[in-house]
Amino acid sequence: MSTQAAPPPLRVRGLVKDYGSVHAVRSIDLEIRAGEVFGFVGPNGAGKSTTIRCILDLLHPTAGQIEVFGLDPRRAGAALRQRVAYIPGELRLPERLTARRFLESIGRLRGRHDRNRIRDLADRFQLDLGRSIRQLSSGNRRKVSILSAFLSDADLLILDEPTSGLDPLMQYEFLALVRERRAAGATVFLSSHILSEVQRVADRLAVLRGGVIVAQGTVNEVRGRARQRVEIWFAGDAPAHLATLPGIEGPLLEGGRFVATLSGPVRPLLDALAGQPVMTMLLEDPDLEDAFLDLYAGPR
Amino acid sequence: MARRLELLTVPLRALRRSGTVWALSMASLIALTVAFWPAFEAEADLAKIIDALPKELIDAFGLADFGSPAGFLRGNLYAVIVPLLVAVAAVMFTNGQTAGEEDAGRMELYLAQPVSRQAVFIGRVSASFLWLVVVAAVMLAAQLASDAIFGLKIGTDRLVETTALCLLLGAWYGGLVALVAGWAARPGLATGIGIGLVVAGYVVMALFPISDVLEPWRHVSPWDWALGGDPLVNGAEPWRYLALAVPAIAMAGAGTILFGRRDVQAA
Repeated sequence: MSTQAAPPPLRVRGLVKDYGSVHAVRSIDLEIRAGEVFGFVGPNGAGKSTTIRCILDLLHPTAGQIEVFGLDPRRAGAALRQRVAYIPGELRLPERLTARRFLESIGRLRGRHDRNRIRDLADRFQLDLGRSIRQLSSGNRRKVSILSAFLSDADLLILDEPTSGLDPLMQYEFLALVRERRAAGATVFLSSHILSEVQRVADRLAVLRGGVIVAQGTVNEVRGRARQRVEIWFAGDAPAHLATLPGIEGPLLEGGRFVATLSGPVRPLLDALAGQPVMTMLLEDPDLEDAFLDLYAGPR
Repeated sequence: MARRLELLTVPLRALRRSGTVWALSMASLIALTVAFWPAFEAEADLAKIIDALPKELIDAFGLADFGSPAGFLRGNLYAVIVPLLVAVAAVMFTNGQTAGEEDAGRMELYLAQPVSRQAVFIGRVSASFLWLVVVAAVMLAAQLASDAIFGLKIGTDRLVETTALCLLLGAWYGGLVALVAGWAARPGLATGIGIGLVVAGYVVMALFPISDVLEPWRHVSPWDWALGGDPLVNGAEPWRYLALAVPAIAMAGAGTILFGRRDVQAA
């Protein structure tokens, strides 16, 4: 008897989306594994929201294939969206409804109208459900959208800039909620500008620039592509040949001090230092922000 | 079923304020107009002055037999102003709940729920039509009450038929707007086409008969299908209801199909 592996929550192959002569997304490939938090980062206009709107069947791809739980969102439609929850990046909510009425409406559409759950989530995010949405600040509106996505136990959460406008405390609460859903087996596709947030919660990530994925992997893998700052102190003059090593950029030799940035593996530098009178050495670990800025700046 | 009901309830609530204002405004217009009936009835000379106007002018503005209850209501309300306002209300309701909401980005969260795009669109068009029914019902109630108060004697059946034809004329334009909104999320375009064809439809029905060459073309106007048979006097043949309702449903249906096949406008 053969067992067939369950299809991944999300698989994107060769996704292209053009608006006339504008190429918003140019051949994107992604595969999100069940139960992971996948970060999707990139600057404004990189194509993150366009990709997400294609996944949700709000936009028709120009080319490429999208599978959500092995199904084509175009054909599977409403039944598939039962398993997917979404927070849009550009948030527009019905102004005249109260937060409670809006969330109850979304609950009914999702087939789960649970007032206790709405109240519990509202308490957790300190949201006044009785106020009309037009009276809410942008941060509180964002909380309403977060609650709308977490009302039901969706298997795949697609969150586009979900914490935009939230204060740090609420961002922390949001990340805790994401971790809880992951622990319960849900998969999270998290688009964000806040790289520290992605770094804290994501298992893997992709960096998008100009409609193309320029890096993809675990947080550590992507971080490893960034330049590291190197500072070495020698007992005596710093050896000049260090400046010519592969990956060394902007070398500065000042007597016994050598300063440079290093991209790529650190091994050639360590080999060159063998036998040298190294007093102390500083190798600064880049954070995701550095990696992101490097990737955003384009190929060097 | 609960989901479809929710998709209807959301736009019904959203239209609550504007629908109420439209209904009360129309009722006030009707009541105020009928309030002049006793004074008009007592002043026979005014009807004679109107009867002396050129026939083309009388036909164009529905002023025939102006001294009778039916002529008074037709000339003051049901030849132009009431069907015009009902049609404009239909355009505003439908446009606001379809192209307007989509253009504002407020439809996206609903479309991401486990409901079909078509169901979302149908819910909004249906809610617009239901509010138009409310407006028409309030209009009819105001008309009957005003007639009783001010002694204007006209058959209830004629009033019901005329109000129903005005409602269906509005539905025709609502269907047209749904078609445009289904094609593109451009509320300005949908309103422009809707209002433009409301006015054009009236011009074709009212002014084309003045010209012998253009007269046969009056029948292309939905206004002519609705009011060309003078329903306040003669009632209406069944085909008039069908000529308005069937294209209205067909256009709304085509708009629904188009909406399901295109990109949804981003906020």
